[in-house]
Amino acid sequence: MSERRVESPSDDVDRQLYAKRQKIYPREVHGIFALLRTSAVLLLLGLYYFSPWLYWDGRQAILFDLPERKFYLFDLIIWPQDFIYLSALLIIAAMSLFFFTALAGRLWCGYACPQTVWTEAFLWIERKIEGSRQKQIKRDKAPLTLNKFVVKASKHAVWILFSLWTGFTFVGYFTPILELANKIVHFNTGPWETFWVLFYGLATYGNAGWLREQVCIYMCPYARFQSAMVDANTLIISYDSVRGEPRGPRKKGIDPADVELGSCIDCTICVQVCPTGIDIRDGLQYQCIGCAACIDACDDVMEKMNYPKGLIRYTTQKALAGEDTHVLRPRMFVYAGLMIVVVTAVLFGLLTRDVIGLDVIRDRNALYRETGDGLIENVYTLKIVNMDGEAHVFDVDIDGLDGAQLVEDGDSVEVESGRVVSYVVRVQVDPNRMTQQSSDFMFRIHSPTAPGLDAEENARFVGPRWLGTGS
Amino acid sequence: MAIPVIQKAVAIFWSSFIMAGVATLVFFAVFDPFELIAPTWFPNLSRLGAYSIGFFLFWMLTLSTSLLTSFFQRPVEQFNKS
Repeated sequence: MSERRVESPSDDVDRQLYAKRQKIYPREVHGIFALLRTSAVLLLLGLYYFSPWLYWDGRQAILFDLPERKFYLFDLIIWPQDFIYLSALLIIAAMSLFFFTALAGRLWCGYACPQTVWTEAFLWIERKIEGSRQKQIKRDKAPLTLNKFVVKASKHAVWILFSLWTGFTFVGYFTPILELANKIVHFNTGPWETFWVLFYGLATYGNAGWLREQVCIYMCPYARFQSAMVDANTLIISYDSVRGEPRGPRKKGIDPADVELGSCIDCTICVQVCPTGIDIRDGLQYQCIGCAACIDACDDVMEKMNYPKGLIRYTTQKALAGEDTHVLRPRMFVYAGLMIVVVTAVLFGLLTRDVIGLDVIRDRNALYRETGDGLIENVYTLKIVNMDGEAHVFDVDIDGLDGAQLVEDGDSVEVESGRVVSYVVRVQVDPNRMTQQSSDFMFRIHSPTAPGLDAEENARFVGPRWLGTGS
Repeated sequence: MAIPVIQKAVAIFWSSFIMAGVATLVFFAVFDPFELIAPTWFPNLSRLGAYSIGFFLFWMLTLSTSLLTSFFQRPVEQFNKS
């Protein structure tokens, strides 16, 4: 047996697999960007919790009615047939993400991402109950006492209540929220509704309460490919190392030049406020979610030191290198152009969308048949789609076929909202009046009670072969 | 470089979760569950129930695929030890 032992590549991975995550305690920060972020959080959370309660025309204004398979957006009703609009929406979202990333980095992550928004809300609750960063760290290190237990338990209780409300609101977008609220009050929600309220609530609690920055670092694909959209002209949050280095502590009011130091006093507050726990002074890192907390924090310190602000600031790599920054560059026009094209297409599509659809299918079994009266008869199946919000009755007519007669089983056909109805009709023509074997004509449907609701579709009438010889 | 356990879990659970969501969306936009479940064992299942079960079936499928991918990606040298 050989004594030689080959170190497997997995050894290293396995050994460090259970590296424990260092909990991050973001320090509270005040400043212009904190104000912006708080406003964004309040606006977005407000929209989220308030929107399902909006009523429009006697029904919930925004309702993704999964059981009925239709989405209500105010006056608009979206059916599964309109799936293309969802794809267009995704393209618009992607383009705006590219556009804003190329412009100023991860604006989305710092101000608008649900992960950031709910984490901010959870952090706020945590600070209200547990106190400042220092107090939290101290409490976590201390042994479990009754006081610690009560503080922790109340924090989690508030978090859980908040999460449950979030889950309830989420389900309220899919089933009418008033009914849902009523059912919850009377403890008789359906099993699936209950499940999704709890599931979404749990996801909120886990993501915003426990996982936090790990969602951004490990779960978010955007963080990994942001470099494809960021270039030397993109505004990013940077530490001005030329001005800052060499860093070092010093007394207040001392001119950096006198002590042969840069402007950075190495107070590490920029690290303490960082929600992902990085040191911005190490340069642009993929963990940075662009929240600008470090800018606010550093500006605060600079002010206290009587140094100019902006040691950490929104700037471009070109500007840091002393070159000119070009905001208007080709990629901005490409992203914006694509976005405008798709938005226009969607608006055009929505505005000119037909709510009534008509399809004509010829009977496949026989080209034609002769009736007892010697007439030539063709059979058609009309597929009538009603994508309007209510049921409609339609009259069927034909046009463009000389001497033709339409034979229906009834006078008209009723189509419920959101349904497709197959309606079989027969068209009869006297062969003596036909000049060719096959002729094109048109089916028309219209609603006698709702003017403007109509549709038409081409069809073909086929007769015996001898008609085609011209005799 | 070390790969934290959370990243390993995410690679399996999270990626499969996203794809199950996408699959559910596309699948049920095309097929109405009412027409699918009528001839099965649960003819009385609500649409919401059908969507939920559909989602979890998709998730089970994608989850097992992710799991197998991770499993087969593990370095193989360790099987010669001990």
